[in-house]
Amino acid sequence: MTAVLRPTLARCLWTTPLFAALAVFVTFAARAIFNMDPVMQENTFLTVAYIFGSVGFIVGIGGMDYWWTWITGGELDPNDHSQHGAKSWRDYFKFNTDHKVIGIQYIIFTFIMYLVGGMFAEVFRAELAKPGMQSITNGTYNELISSHGTIMIFTFMVPVFAGIGNYVIPLMIGADDMAFPRLNAVSFWLLPLAGLILLSAWAYGSYDTGWTAYPTLQDQSPFGQTLFQIGVIIAGSSSIATAVNFLVTIVAMRAPGMTLFRMPLLCWANLATSALVVAATPFVAGAMFMAMFDREMGTHFFTTDGGGTALAYQHIFWFYSHPAVYIMVLPGFGIISEVIATHARKPVFGYRAVAFSSAGIAVLGFSVWAHHMFASGMQSWLRVPIMFATLLIAVPTGIKIFSWVGTLWGGVVRLTTANLFALGFIVAFVIGGLSGVMLASVPFDLSITNSYFIVAHFHYVLFGGSVLTVFAGLYHWFPKVTGRMYDEKLGKWHFWITFIALNGTFFPMHYQGLEGMPRRVADYAPQFGWSNTVITISAFILGASTLIFVYNMVHSARHGKPAGANPWGSLTLEWMVSSPPPTFNFPTTPRVIGGPYRYGEEGVKHAIFPDEQPAETEKVGA
Amino acid sequence: MKSLSVLTLSILGTVVGAVIGVILILTRTLPEEASAQAGGIDDLYSAFLWFSGIIFGIVTLILLVAVIRFRARPNDTRDGSNLHGITWLEIVWTVIPFILVLAVAFVSWNLLNANNVSGAAEKSGQRIHISAYQFGWKYTYLNEDIGIKDSQELVVPVDVPIAFDITTVDVMHSFWVPAWRMQMGATPAQTNYASATPTKIGEFDIVCAFLCGVGHTQMNSAVDSNLVSKVKVVSQADFDKWVAETKSEAAAS
Repeated sequence: MTAVLRPTLARCLWTTPLFAALAVFVTFAARAIFNMDPVMQENTFLTVAYIFGSVGFIVGIGGMDYWWTWITGGELDPNDHSQHGAKSWRDYFKFNTDHKVIGIQYIIFTFIMYLVGGMFAEVFRAELAKPGMQSITNGTYNELISSHGTIMIFTFMVPVFAGIGNYVIPLMIGADDMAFPRLNAVSFWLLPLAGLILLSAWAYGSYDTGWTAYPTLQDQSPFGQTLFQIGVIIAGSSSIATAVNFLVTIVAMRAPGMTLFRMPLLCWANLATSALVVAATPFVAGAMFMAMFDREMGTHFFTTDGGGTALAYQHIFWFYSHPAVYIMVLPGFGIISEVIATHARKPVFGYRAVAFSSAGIAVLGFSVWAHHMFASGMQSWLRVPIMFATLLIAVPTGIKIFSWVGTLWGGVVRLTTANLFALGFIVAFVIGGLSGVMLASVPFDLSITNSYFIVAHFHYVLFGGSVLTVFAGLYHWFPKVTGRMYDEKLGKWHFWITFIALNGTFFPMHYQGLEGMPRRVADYAPQFGWSNTVITISAFILGASTLIFVYNMVHSARHGKPAGANPWGSLTLEWMVSSPPPTFNFPTTPRVIGGPYRYGEEGVKHAIFPDEQPAETEKVGA
Repeated sequence: MKSLSVLTLSILGTVVGAVIGVILILTRTLPEEASAQAGGIDDLYSAFLWFSGIIFGIVTLILLVAVIRFRARPNDTRDGSNLHGITWLEIVWTVIPFILVLAVAFVSWNLLNANNVSGAAEKSGQRIHISAYQFGWKYTYLNEDIGIKDSQELVVPVDVPIAFDITTVDVMHSFWVPAWRMQMGATPAQTNYASATPTKIGEFDIVCAFLCGVGHTQMNSAVDSNLVSKVKVVSQADFDKWVAETKSEAAAS
């Protein structure tokens, strides 16, 4: 019975409904006292129930226990580490403050959401396989594409990098943990909550307005649309809290000697990303709150009948959601730098330029949001400056691509699965980047925007780009996380099938868009029939290739060959401790004595443990 | 030697990329060019395919050669060279893309201005108001001598610049005529502007490009439905005839 009192999922089972019921009661009482008509307003009650039930969930899982005891002046033992580290699989279902446990929780949860989001896509691809309407209605189709985009972006693509960063970054910089371990755990537990809320929308008519949910269309949607807004707000809160944590961790928790320019590039990428998240995510949360108030409280932020401005939503939404594209790809750039340097046995070419280009992308990322709105009828003077800024982003992005190729040149390139994914990423991302340059051009954009050309472009960026970097990172750090090697043969099968199928799925979409096929349609003109058949078959193969990955990960985690501390011969800090690392990461605090990628220099190290004698006199800089 | 071979590969990559560009241009499936503006946009697109093909060719060729030439042999424990960067090369690959994107921006800016024929349409062309709704379009001819209101059919004379102003009575839509390379959104509570000069007589598809609800798929004259009709581009004489007929029908009803 004590399980329902201690911080567990079991306790959530009563705290969640309790908080929800209290909120509903207060709302009901208020409506009755102020004589509102009608007193029984189902959607209002559901809205407050979901919001306060969410608070109840975080209380139940244990997110507030420590802080509450602190606030109320209770007894706290600063050396109590009972919630830190996992001793059995059950600990992964609990509030845990160990960044390594949280990292795994993040990665597994987001990957489940990836499979869910992928299933949505497979269902509507089946409908699109041939012209005419076959198995689903227009309405269901719109709900499927909306869920696909929302689930993929808010509960997979953004947080999966928080998961990888959580596991790797404290190790990389020589820290015991993140700066705020409890906040870190709260950040994670907000995410399954957001995922459940977004999926539960299907019980209330779901949402059918795309992942962008523009007013005034979203005012027509059933209650599921409000759950979309609540879900996005909660996922955004999780994202902001994690970003604050990363910022403080990277700024303040680096081991002695870890100067900014000795940081591995993943740390630079995460620093830039976190700055973006902290500055941009509040905008989407604000937009969601205003849209929700319009729906449930009768305000007129965006509803035109009361004097609101529908276009304002687009500005606020994209002021987050364009930087969000960089939030979803910058950490991937960081992963690629780690993977390529290690597996090509060569320092990253032009380290400083690569580091600064992340910062440059983060800054420029705020001046380009309106390129999503060239056809929206915004102030027409805004279009040309936004076009210039958008095109300029190609420069720092190009620097990265060229630098990675420069890193490979003259290296000793090991074609591990991790490295194959990194190479495949470069090829696919160049395609996505080039179509991005085209779309930045206002007259060209105005001729094909909102078409399948757009769908092709952003899937090359987000799948060919971000998802491939996630796979590269997961294969790269798998031995560190599990202590075992994955099966290279299966990994290579996974890569080649994924790479070929992704091109088969997304490349033909360029042609369709140019020829006049709009996006977000359940049916299309007959001339697009055969290309859609090719796309659907490729999409099914793409989905199936994921099963190889899942099998490889699950099987190898138990039965793979023991990996040892450093199977890749990498120089960065996370490879200097055992695999998996001890609960508090480092037996003694490491001291960093040089750059992170000093491959090709005999006997040179990135860091030492103080009880160890330095192999050579300390060299300054990279 | 090393820099020379990279240079050779860059030239080779340029050739390969140019070939890729040509293949992409030859295989592209564009709707016919039915407006005065379409040609410029298609030319811009061809230019994009050329330089995209070349950049793609250079990057992937050097990537492939690097992976093959510098691949690790089995049980290879060597490291690569400890080269940390070549400053002049980094400057080159920063400056060249910078110049390229500036060129793209200026060319695009120019084309954007050139394609805007609303001024000419105000003076000597047609002015048409499009009102979008779930799920269709209504057209009102604003020139005083025509005065057709809320037509379900869009009929326009050939070789005359047309200025559209676009509104919506409910949600966001987007008025797209792929053959004219023209699209503009219909945003709630505001008026948006677009213009084109049709140059070909015939019927062309009108597509709603922005998700507008359950009927969005069918708000497209290319899809099998009777919700919306194609735009009819006719000769000036046929246009005058259509105007007269439509007016007399309206007067009769």
